[in-house]
Amino acid sequence: MVDHLLLMLWHALLVSLFFAFLWRSSPADRLRMFAKAFLIMTVGSVVVGWLMYVVP
Amino acid sequence: MTKDTGRSTGDAQPRRARTSPFLLLAAWLVPGLGHWILGKRRRALLYCGIVVCAFVTGVLADGELGTPRPGEPFSWLATLACLGNGLLYLARLVWVNGASAALAGLPFGVDGGGDPVAVGFAYGNTFLYTGGLMNLLLVLDVSDIARGEKD
Repeated sequence: MVDHLLLMLWHALLVSLFFAFLWRSSPADRLRMFAKAFLIMTVGSVVVGWLMYVVP
Repeated sequence: MTKDTGRSTGDAQPRRARTSPFLLLAAWLVPGLGHWILGKRRRALLYCGIVVCAFVTGVLADGELGTPRPGEPFSWLATLACLGNGLLYLARLVWVNGASAALAGLPFGVDGGGDPVAVGFAYGNTFLYTGGLMNLLLVLDVSDIARGEKD
């Protein structure tokens, strides 16, 4: 059984981790970038999903 | 008395070394190998893990590898993205088609696997494309590190 939310979270995790390590050097910067990218991708996806529901 | 030429040796740009094509090829074929060769071992393992996880997730979610299709120009973009996975892509093609069929079917007769009617098909495709594109970025990163432009 495919869990759509889980797949989205997993994708966001992989991509956020990737770019945090690719574009930042210090651990603090990496953590900040990871958190920011992850939140944008997950929360942003939910927000856009609801917007698409409200605005067909 | 020195002649002022308007140029100082302190402003001279260091000559950039060219990156070995074999290093870039290795970086493409095996995710993380380029960073490993350059001594960035922990990053190499992390990048390898990320790309492999993305690829495996894509395959398990019944995604289809991008392969060229006649009359579909965007299929070439999908192929390029998936090809970025390197040996993973080639191994999957051989797994799905068999080695001789994969070679004989080039370029338009190769099956990319996957199940278009599966629930996770679109997600699987996304993971496959993302993994490949991330690995291509890693190749560029290896080039930058090898030329001393980045640590």
